[in-house]
Amino acid sequence: MTPDTAEPDADGPVTMMDYFMQLEYHELLCPVVRRYAEQLLDGKLIGHKCPSCGLVYLPPRGYCPICVVETTDADEIELADHGTVTNYTVVTPVQYYGQEETEPFVRASVQLDGGNATMNLQDLVDVPVDEVRVGMRVAAVWKPKAERDVSEISNRSWGSAEGCIDGWKPTGEPDLPAEQFLGKAAF
Amino acid sequence: MADIAIVGYAQSPSWRQSELTEPQFLFPVISEAIQQAHVERRDIGFTCAGSCDYLSGQTFAFVMNLEAVGAWPPISESHVEMDGAWALYEAWVRLQHGDIDLALVFGSGKSSPGLPSEIYPLQLDPYTLTPLGADPVSLAALQARAMLDKGTITEREMAEIALRSRQHGATNPYAQVKDGRGDVDAMLAEPYVTAPLRRHDLPPISDGASAVVLATADKARAVCDRPVWIRGIDHRIEPHQPGMRDLTESLSTRQAGNHAGVADRPVDVAELSATFSHQEKLLREALGLGDRVEINPSGGALCANPVMAVGLARIAEAARAIRERGATRAVAHATSGQCLQQNLVCVLEGA
Repeated sequence: MTPDTAEPDADGPVTMMDYFMQLEYHELLCPVVRRYAEQLLDGKLIGHKCPSCGLVYLPPRGYCPICVVETTDADEIELADHGTVTNYTVVTPVQYYGQEETEPFVRASVQLDGGNATMNLQDLVDVPVDEVRVGMRVAAVWKPKAERDVSEISNRSWGSAEGCIDGWKPTGEPDLPAEQFLGKAAF
Repeated sequence: MADIAIVGYAQSPSWRQSELTEPQFLFPVISEAIQQAHVERRDIGFTCAGSCDYLSGQTFAFVMNLEAVGAWPPISESHVEMDGAWALYEAWVRLQHGDIDLALVFGSGKSSPGLPSEIYPLQLDPYTLTPLGADPVSLAALQARAMLDKGTITEREMAEIALRSRQHGATNPYAQVKDGRGDVDAMLAEPYVTAPLRRHDLPPISDGASAVVLATADKARAVCDRPVWIRGIDHRIEPHQPGMRDLTESLSTRQAGNHAGVADRPVDVAELSATFSHQEKLLREALGLGDRVEINPSGGALCANPVMAVGLARIAEAARAIRERGATRAVAHATSGQCLQQNLVCVLEGA
């Protein structure tokens, strides 16, 4: 908490006061996300497959909220690091304080091959913004092993591989039909 | 008012720092409360949660907590940015409508990730109190000082309350502070943390959760051998600015207790959210609880203080006293804000 350092008007009444505050939180990684982070450093994406409905959660949450059953290490599966863009948003950055982006960029949802597991808010690389399509086939661009960093992974960053995957680049395979993905909820 | 009963309750242990996420430790607590009630999850007509995003450090953290409930297909639910005891009040009101017969209530919080002494001043007056860093311990110390100056409590009485709470906590599997050893003279020889409060006068910092299942009268009798009936429930609030109140009394507790009918019949057990030792005596007097009333057999908030779950846990503990330990009539109390600003009183009976 820092007091305002601006010079006050010594003659006038006090009509306004700046008050800056910040709160810091430090939460331990829960065991299933800790395991997910360790595997990311090893270049693997893991999830939990619900033993009841078969939905896959990445990162694992330790439960399936649909079936309301707990999941354990026994339900862990390794997932493909390639998949399909199921939807995306083009973000046109406004230059507010702290905004580092200057040009329009894409945040995409990528459904990994072999199940429902979807990673949200992913960067796409090596593709112009106006060429991104639903159904586009993409593969993860892993950082070199020595540069991988999981310090930004938190219990709340569902689906994030920030620090280990730079983004997803088109594989050049033919697109899958967009209708296969549009209008569907992703869990 | 329609009769509403508690038919199931559960709570997590209280931890200083849980490595589980809030939904993860809520998950078994909610399941246990529903199983204990002998009802099906899909038959619950209304769900209400109490939690605080400022504690969790994330906006909409309460939405994630619903993952522990089973919210698909979509359910009818609500949330209060308050202790789960107020979620129970909302569910009790909801059940009065008569169109549904079961409600699930839960409260949860993780105080461990943040610093309570930095978070709580932000809920106070932003001009005069927040910049001072008026934290809960400092404000409680002012309240204790006011009581000492008025002669309504002594530091020895405060230590006696703390020791008795710890002795009770030692028998409670959910408690965090379980050391019931010690004697009052030795406790009084300890230094002050914030005068006139010593370490034993303060609650622990806790993570934890609690849950309760409520039912209308017919449903309660159908699913449960020993429903615990809510005979009265009321909550009252006082001014936000602590300087506008007489901190040596709790008018809002007194009013809530009167409206909930505490004095209508003798009370066996009271579970009070006395977060600081001196508050127990203050609450006891505001509720007119005599010497024969057993206070906080669970150890109370001095032994486990999972903020946002601790008040609902008092209701669960009061129900437990009736259903599992033979009490006939119990009073549960929950509080919110600084120095007992807002108070809820719930009267429970076994028959």
